[in-house]
Formats: sequence, C-alpha cells, structure tokens
Amino acid sequence: MTLSLVLQALFAGVTNGIVYALVGMGLSAIFKGSRVINAMQGEFAVIGAMTTVLLLTKAGWPYPAAIAGGALSGALVGAFIEVAFVRFMARKNASEDSFLLLTIGLALTLSASVLFFIGRDGHLLPPLGGEGVLIILDAVIQFHALWLIAIGIGATLALRAFYHRTTIGLSMMAASIDADGAATTGINVGRMRTFTFVRGGLLGALGGILVTPLIGVDYQLGLNLTLKGFAAAVLGGLTNPLGAAVGGLTLGLVESLAIIGISSSYKDVVAFSVLIVIMILMPQGILGRAGRRGG
Amino acid sequence: MSKSSLIAGLIGATSLVGLSALGVQAQTSGEPVKIGAIVSVTGAGAGLGGPERNGLLLAEKDINAKGGIKGRPIKFIIEDDASNPDTALSKANDLIFGQKVQALLGPSLTASTVAVGGVTHANKIPQIAFTGIGPAVERERKCVAHVLPPQRLNATALLEYAKSIKANKIGVLHDAGYGNVVMAELRPLADKYGVKLVAVEKFEIGATDTTTQAAKVKAAQPDAVFIIATSATPFRNVKQIQITQPVVAAIGSSSYEYVNAMGPAADNIVIPEFVVGEDPLPHQKAFVELFKQTYNSTPKNYEAAAWDAAHIIAAALNKAGADATGEKLCEAMKAPYTGVLANYDFSADDMTGIPLSSFIFSKLVGGKYTRTPFRITQ
Repeated sequence: MTLSLVLQALFAGVTNGIVYALVGMGLSAIFKGSRVINAMQGEFAVIGAMTTVLLLTKAGWPYPAAIAGGALSGALVGAFIEVAFVRFMARKNASEDSFLLLTIGLALTLSASVLFFIGRDGHLLPPLGGEGVLIILDAVIQFHALWLIAIGIGATLALRAFYHRTTIGLSMMAASIDADGAATTGINVGRMRTFTFVRGGLLGALGGILVTPLIGVDYQLGLNLTLKGFAAAVLGGLTNPLGAAVGGLTLGLVESLAIIGISSSYKDVVAFSVLIVIMILMPQGILGRAGRRGG
Repeated sequence: MSKSSLIAGLIGATSLVGLSALGVQAQTSGEPVKIGAIVSVTGAGAGLGGPERNGLLLAEKDINAKGGIKGRPIKFIIEDDASNPDTALSKANDLIFGQKVQALLGPSLTASTVAVGGVTHANKIPQIAFTGIGPAVERERKCVAHVLPPQRLNATALLEYAKSIKANKIGVLHDAGYGNVVMAELRPLADKYGVKLVAVEKFEIGATDTTTQAAKVKAAQPDAVFIIATSATPFRNVKQIQITQPVVAAIGSSSYEYVNAMGPAADNIVIPEFVVGEDPLPHQKAFVELFKQTYNSTPKNYEAAAWDAAHIIAAALNKAGADATGEKLCEAMKAPYTGVLANYDFSADDMTGIPLSSFIFSKLVGGKYTRTPFRITQ
C-alpha cells in the first residue's frame, strides 16, 4: 500500500462522503421537520439533475441558470408532494409507516416517469472548473470534486446557521419538536412542513446536480443515492441534519479505505460491519445527543 | 383538370403503387406460422430486450416480404418477462400450451433461459436463446440453441487482444454480476495465455464510484486494463484517475446507452464484439441499412442476434415444413448458419458454434465506434 494509494482512497472517500451527506442531510431535514422518512430523497437528486440537463441541452439555457432551474425544480416538487399528499395524510393522523409507503411509491413512480419521458440513457453535466485535475503524489482529484466538497461543506454550514439564526429556521424546529405548542405561539405548522419539504427537495436537487458531472445521472440513480443517504443519516443521528454530514463522510471513508486495506470483494462487508458496530455503541447515531439539543 | 380526369389519375396512380408493391413483396397467405418470443423489455435486462424486440420485428417484416414460410406468413408473438425468470417461465407455458407456438425465441437473460429451457427441452420445442450458454445443465438441452457467445469465448477474445498488443500484465475491474461470470472463465485461461493478472478489483452492480478500485489497478502497473461490466462508471473512473494504459472492455459494455453515459471517457477503448453499425462488414451491410431506414438508429449486437435467431428458425421451418414437429425442426436447425452477428453451428457441443474468428474488435474514438483491422485467425 503506497502513500499515493491511501491519498487516492481519501479523495474518493471524501468526495463520495459529501454526496452521501447531501442526500442524507435532505433526508434528515425532512424527518426532523415532519417525521416522514423520505424514501424518495434520491429522486429529488434525479429530478434536479435531469432538469438541469434538459434546460442546458434542450432549452439552451446558460449553465448557471440551468443549475438554478434544476435546484428550483427539486424545491417545487418537494412543495408539491407536501401540499398534494403529506398534508392530507397528516390531517388524518397517518402513521410513520404510511408516510414511508407513500414516499416509496412516489420514488418508484418518479423513477418510472423519468424512464418513460426521458429514456434509459445516462446523462452528464459539464464539470465546474472544467476538466482539470489536481495531482498530489500521483493521486488525482478533479477540480469539480473540490467544488463539490466546498459547496457541500458550505451547504452544511448554511443549514446549521439557518436552524439557529433565522426566525423561520427556529419556527421550523419548534414546529417539529412540538407541533401543538408551536401552533399556540402562532407558528403555522402546516406551512413550516411545506418549507421543510421545499428545503429537502432543494438539498436533494443540489446534491444531484453536483454529483452528475462525476457519476452521471439516469433513472435508476435515485434509489442508490437514497440507500447511501439513509445510511449516512442514520449513522449520524436521523434527527440531526449535521449528523448526516458526519455520517456521510464516515461511510464514504470507511468504504474506500476498506478497498485498499482489505479487498474490494469485501468492501461492503467491511463498511457495513463498521456501521453495525457504530450503531451498537452509539444507537442514537454519532451526533445523536447533540441532535436532541437541536443540532 | 376536370373532376373525372382527376379521379382517373388517382386510380391510375393507386394501381401503379399497388403493382410496384407486388413486385417487391412476395405475397403470403393462409394461417400464420406462430413463433413465441420472450424478451426483457422492462426491468434490469431492458437494455438487451428492447434492442432484441426491434431486431425481431424487423426480421418478421423481412421474412414475410421474402415469402414467409412456404407462402404462409410468420408471426412472432412477443412477450415481456420483466427480467424475471418466474415470469419468463409462465409466459413460456402460455406460449407453448396456450398459443401453441412452433418454437420459442429468447429470453434475454441467462437465469430466464435456464428456467424456460426446462419446459422447451421437456416438450421438444425448439428454442433459440439470446444468451450465451450458461450452467452445465444447458449442455444437455440439445434443442436450446444460443446466438450469443459463451462467456469463455468472450474471455478468450479479451486475452487474444491482450496477446496481440503484447500485454502480459493485466489489471481487471469487474462488477459482481456479469463481471464475476466472465472472470470465472478468464482466470484459468490467463495461465494458458501466459498472462499475469496483477490486480483484480471488484465493485457492486450499480456502483456510482469505482475510483479506489481503479487506483489499485493503476498502482499494480499493468500493461493493459480489462473492464468487465454493464455500466459506464468504471470507464469514467479509469480516465478520471488518468490510467493511460490500453483499456479493453468485454462485450457487455458495448451499447450506445453505456457509451453515451461515458461522456468524454469513451475514447481509446477496444471492445471485442460483432457489429459496428458505423462500419459494418460486407455481409452485415444489408441488415444495418434496413435497420437504419426503419428505426432511424444504428443497430448493435443484440438487434443482430435477434434478427439472426428469427431467420434461423424461418430457415429451419422452410427446410422441415411449416407444420414439422419440434424434433424435426431441431434436426433442421443443426447445421452451420452464416448470420449477421456470427457464423453459427448448432451441432457444436456448446449449442452455439461461434468461432473466435467471428469477433471483430471495435475501438471507441471520441465517443464513436470505429472498426479496427484486428481479427483472430483460427
């Protein structure tokens, strides 16, 4: 095992970790705000990325505008899902399992719609910062991956500031911790839940757009991202969006270091064994207790 | 022009069109000869089944335009197995016992082929599968022919190319499905070719990143890299971490779907396969042209395999008679056949008989397929 191989594994681990983190943060933001485990978080990524691809290639929009359009589409779909489905089910006191089934159904429907309307083909987006790479000790990392890492960290910090510094963020947190109590102080709990979905959709779409230049997007990508994002969110503590960031990085690094340390054949065995151990030792997730304090 | 002369003109034109159509198309009449077909149009195998269905539909038109089966039209009853062996089996039962088809074409996937073969073999219904021969049980099924090469042949073709570029140290990136099956054949063959597998790295099906595996392959400093997968991801990763050695890919990645998803990484990759629609071999030209006219897209291996299977069963029916028993049809099929995809011989032990010389070696250059002059002489 050479130093350059370790460095390469670290690059890959951090890059993948940030992707898992972005999906996981959206997942846990929605869970925090609505107690819905959103099995279609990965589909938000597909919607955002596919919209950006279509705006860029078919509608001929400039890249930054197409990215904004893609991110907005995720937010709009998030809002639509809350207004059209979640709101009615919540009014009838639907259980967490019913919501889970709803989002699984929506995930399959959205994936099939992408297949039907856009087709089987995978699509790529141009990398931010061009095709250039940074080479350190023979280990290679794309400029785009550096952008992804920077934007991912930025989004994480912004999310934290949003929850702690803004009235609306504090209201959302209040509505999620005690809906009745929040309502008596004049917080519109239903609207806060809509905002929660808007933000979940926005984060998911942003993750999808950022990851597409590296891994491409097709109709099947959603489920893959949801699974990894869910693992990241649970690992970090599902009620704490910051935990998802920690969980995502842990998962990404464990995966890639397992490949060079042991064998690629046992990558998942090693990675998930580590996760099981962490969950046994820290059942609330790595940042579980911090999450209780409001994360 | 008066109204009556306009009508007369129209009648004249119509009859001319009718005549010319007659001149090109032989007329078929009578009860259609029914052939069942099972393909995976949905599910994981849709990348195979979709193209295969196009090949079948085109072949049906072509066979009927050339007189059908002794004057009777041929009719393919095409069913989707949703990439599921259980569904394939129930569709096969329906086609054989419900619809009373003469023969069965497909399925698209190995697991489904093995399942369906149990019924066709027991009931002496000829079957031509769109797969390479799989588990040992298939060798006993002497009326289940295969129009794609066995994985051993795919592995051999990879090694033949490596030998031709004098690559003795090979790094392999493969997935846990298709890649595993090919690897099982490749390992023992590598010794025979005097090739050393310096790094063999695996990744799960649907993996979105294989950079670390690619880095391990790079660190082993191979002379060439084999990629055995049904995904574009490892190809992108290999270019991303700047592996500069020649990349040779197994036939599983040879579809436009994957090549488009590779983006700029679809460059300088050699694939042992059979049909390069951009530059077809002389005997493939007629098929490629017809396909392009009909579908406005370029065919690849799976379209050609289905087209061949359809023509093979039509030839057997024309030889043995449209109402021949399954056993007679089987006998009629057991002869060398020069297809668009390859030269087959279904009397061979592997129920395929495809020789190594049928492989052509395509090279992706800037996202486009080109045909290299390299061929294997046996």
